[in-house]
Amino acid sequence: MGTDVSRNERIKEASRFLRGTLPEGLVEVATGAISEDDAQLVKFHGTYLQDDRDLRAERTKKKLEKAFAFMVRLRLPGGVCTPAQWLALDQIARDYANGTLRLTTRQTFQFHGIIKSNLKTSMQAIDAALLDTLAACGDVNRNVLATSNPHQSRAHRAALDLAHAISDQLLPRTPAYREIWLDGEKILGGEEGEVVEPIYGTTYLPRKFKTVVAVPPANDVDVFAQDLGFIAILDPDGHVAGWNVTVGGGMGMTHGEPDTYPRTADVMGFCLTGDAVAVAEAVVTVQRDWGDRANRKHARLKYTIEDRGLSAFRAEVERRVGKPLQPPRPFGFTSTGDRYGWTEGEDGRAHLTLFVENGRVRDHDGGPAMLAGLRAIAEAHDGEFRLTANQNVIIANVRPENRAAIERLVAAHGLDRHATALRRNALACVALPTCGLALAESERYLPALVTALEARLAAHGLADDEITIRMTGCPNGCARPYLAEIGLVGKGPGRYNLYLGAAFDGSRLSKLYAEDLEHDGIVAALEPLFAAYAAGRLQAERFGAFLIRTRRIAQTGNGRDFHANTGPLRTMELAG
Amino acid sequence: MPAPALLPRTAPFGDDEIASLDRVLGPATATQRAWLAGFLAGLDASAPATATVTSAQVAEPLTILFATESGNAERLAQDAAKLARKGGFKPKLIDFADLVAADLAAEQRLIVVASTWGEGEPPARAARAYAELMGPAAPRLEGVTFGVLALGDTAYAEFCAIGKALDARLVELGAKRAVERVDCDLDFEAPAAEWIKAALQTLAPAREAGGNVVSVDFKPRPAGEASREPVTAEIVEHINLNSSRSGKETIHLALRFDGSAPAYEPGDSLDLYPHNDPALVEAVLAAARLDGDAQLRAALVSERDLTTLSTGTIEKFLAATAHPEVRRLIDEGGARAWSDGRQLVDLLEAFPVRLTAEELKGLTRPLPPRAYSIASSRKEVGDEAHLLVAAVRYESRGRARAGVASTHVADRLQVGGSVRVRLKPNKHFHLPEPSTDIIMVGPGTGVAPFRAFVQERRAVGAAGRSWLFFGDRRFTHDFLYQLEWQDALKDGALTRLDLAFSRDTPRKVYVQHRLWERRRDLIEWLEGGAHLYVCGNAKAMAKDVRAALVRAFVDVKALDADAAAAVVTALERERRYLQDVY
Repeated sequence: MGTDVSRNERIKEASRFLRGTLPEGLVEVATGAISEDDAQLVKFHGTYLQDDRDLRAERTKKKLEKAFAFMVRLRLPGGVCTPAQWLALDQIARDYANGTLRLTTRQTFQFHGIIKSNLKTSMQAIDAALLDTLAACGDVNRNVLATSNPHQSRAHRAALDLAHAISDQLLPRTPAYREIWLDGEKILGGEEGEVVEPIYGTTYLPRKFKTVVAVPPANDVDVFAQDLGFIAILDPDGHVAGWNVTVGGGMGMTHGEPDTYPRTADVMGFCLTGDAVAVAEAVVTVQRDWGDRANRKHARLKYTIEDRGLSAFRAEVERRVGKPLQPPRPFGFTSTGDRYGWTEGEDGRAHLTLFVENGRVRDHDGGPAMLAGLRAIAEAHDGEFRLTANQNVIIANVRPENRAAIERLVAAHGLDRHATALRRNALACVALPTCGLALAESERYLPALVTALEARLAAHGLADDEITIRMTGCPNGCARPYLAEIGLVGKGPGRYNLYLGAAFDGSRLSKLYAEDLEHDGIVAALEPLFAAYAAGRLQAERFGAFLIRTRRIAQTGNGRDFHANTGPLRTMELAG
Repeated sequence: MPAPALLPRTAPFGDDEIASLDRVLGPATATQRAWLAGFLAGLDASAPATATVTSAQVAEPLTILFATESGNAERLAQDAAKLARKGGFKPKLIDFADLVAADLAAEQRLIVVASTWGEGEPPARAARAYAELMGPAAPRLEGVTFGVLALGDTAYAEFCAIGKALDARLVELGAKRAVERVDCDLDFEAPAAEWIKAALQTLAPAREAGGNVVSVDFKPRPAGEASREPVTAEIVEHINLNSSRSGKETIHLALRFDGSAPAYEPGDSLDLYPHNDPALVEAVLAAARLDGDAQLRAALVSERDLTTLSTGTIEKFLAATAHPEVRRLIDEGGARAWSDGRQLVDLLEAFPVRLTAEELKGLTRPLPPRAYSIASSRKEVGDEAHLLVAAVRYESRGRARAGVASTHVADRLQVGGSVRVRLKPNKHFHLPEPSTDIIMVGPGTGVAPFRAFVQERRAVGAAGRSWLFFGDRRFTHDFLYQLEWQDALKDGALTRLDLAFSRDTPRKVYVQHRLWERRRDLIEWLEGGAHLYVCGNAKAMAKDVRAALVRAFVDVKALDADAAAAVVTALERERRYLQDVY
């Protein structure tokens, strides 16, 4: 390994396939933390060491270390689980975590607040539910998403199958997971002649890697935000003919570093279902070999594509697959959101999509009893649960005769609470107090901001117009803010950068409109834009598109021009 | 029948010589003894051996037996011994922990000072011998003359139960009660001193007229005994160690003494003199319709116990007021049940009567100090002493209640303020030689003395290993002194740490569960000579720890239950299993 590699590369290399000193660190009782190096490695096992930042100020004075706890994220390809699994996870949340389940933008569950002494027990309970957390975080292929749109049942089945196949193929093979968490037998890694990680090798990928499978017209998985995407191309009869392959999307950037930028993925070609897994593996191994291992801020696939060019990248993928990709087929997306309420699939099963604000499943004082309600439904339901990439949940595959019972439970627990159009299209990352990267609030603040904006929208007759709004506490982009028509990215406590002009269907990035806005500044900046939109929009014209057409913000082409021409356009006054 | 043992084993003679002297001295008449005493005194002074000493009198044996938990009974026993020596006795102090019940048969005069603990239980260290004495194997005690001094707390229903039981039991066993028992409440000093004086007079043998007493000190007095006078300390640190998310509130209180720091040792306690909550004082004054009395208010704040409500209080209230409803309550036998969970203020409010200041005071007992284990070593903190105080708050009978001393510390003391304290030594809970391993079991505030132990061992560079079992509710929010334990593990002052947090998991885990899990190592340490210290809750924890220890011996050493219990009892008698429980 070269001398110029980043620190994480050395940690991975020395870790003996992700073991590090985790077994020793887990039994050190005096501290709730693990070593810094192990904290990097434990991500590959699906968990982050965090601390409750609300408590930081008081801890040292009280002779206490930081309030450390672990976030544990499941690997749940396509976001599908059984009612029995839901019940098991609900139990873990109440026994060992903070009493809530967090549905994420990657269609999975997160637990927060699991202390070290309960970590192994929690992992074992997850295992007992036939679930795992392996590769839910870390420099590997993470949880694979699949469109959850349930009314196209056949295409959804195909997307889910592909998500599972890719997830299985790209799963790390290290026995460390079983060894450390499940008290599995120790299997010596790296024996002579034995290849422990045939795909990843000793240092895994240069950076995280995100894969999704989309079924148009729904772009609920935000395919353009992902390193690797498969877009279903459907026959006229609804069968999947094959997949367009997208590469090089990604959200993360760093404030003040214009060399870092979000990027929408390129459509690289088309492949048949039988080749899709091989294509996925080839994309991953090219990135493994070509990706930047010296600078982690330049290590995502999007920079590899930018640096090497799409055609060179495609050629190498085709060489590794052993056959060329076909030219992309036409497709069209309409939205990134979920369809709420009941829908019926082609197979006659019914599906109920429930809005979960910020994906936080909890019992709200005086509000919906999400945790208790979904637990009750899980006890009565014999279909499945599907988590959406919009942090919502679908009670899926309900037999017609069970529908009334589910409806009663939904009503009894207030799970069908009406949410306005803006709130239904809102996403927030977790941020404070648990995320170590957060510069500002997100999940705890967005609901209040939405309330304030709803009032302004209503004043202009826009209460029922669907506008996407997303907030993150830092620029790394977990809630994909640069693809929202209103994007807010934390800059510091109570301060946000406002991004505008993205496409409603997730196909176009936004652009920085104003910096360092506080609450009132955000509302004040948006108010005149809402007014103009209400007065001057074309038929069915979306908010992001309107701002670009009326030259209130410049259009972002792809990543490289994300930082160019920012701010309100000078011509705005003229145009307005 | 062997002669009664007169000389203590500590006498500077061989065992055979002691036996010979006992043989001679035992049956000797008073005159013979006095003659011998004079003879020996003269011999020593190189005076002519033709002793014409007329009437020196030899000290009479007196055994003072004590059952102590917090040290009060032991201190009174020591006071009694001192006074007895002056009065011509040859006192012998016996701790119940060391008592072989059968030996009592040989005593002539016996004073028993016995504390009652918790809900009518003997002090932990006394439990074994107490059971022996109360059980079928107890010796007959004809020929023993005795008196019992009972210590207790009227706040508990079974007031002085152990003293009462022993008093009755000694008679049952044939002993002659020469002194009527006195039951002392928390303000025991005056009545106890009076009783001791009277008891010594009663037990003293008839003197020959004009006789001198030759007083022999069998034990050297401890040199430079630490001052037990109350002193005022400045509060220099006042920190709630629990996180703001905790349901608990445990105050780390650092006291600084202006040059007059009590000479405490790790394991000792400080008596802290609290004040009452002014709001409670107001409520009591209002209920008694005495709110105008500023002088009374001041007295109630700092001098009177306003929380305890015993049946005795209710009886006094009746005597003062002749309240018909209270009379009915007492006549119908409902006073104890009524007082349960209630305090003085409830009585005054439930049966409103205008009282005089004297009547109100008469209903109360003096406000006692509260003992807290010292959580520091002078070798590390110099002229400071640290306490660890858990605020006691609860609700009973629909009213919020607060522990007097603990909430005085938590709510009313602050940095820059002051508090009166007094050293309360606990020599039964001191560290062994620095080379000896120690195992410390201290959940919650029970960890206080162990912070002192670890500081001390760090300061002296002790070679012995140290192992702490700590527990509380939650790791994240209730891990008292977490950063300090981490440092101690790093610098070696603490060798090993095991933790039990009861609310981190669905199944509650307590320190005794950890002891059980670690039983192999635990017994290996004990067999290697380690001392085991337990501090904290007497009611549940200390008993559960002891039971776990017995089970550990059963399991690891393949002993039957009786043999394992005997091993643990032996540890106690060897002073290697020590408790400071409350």
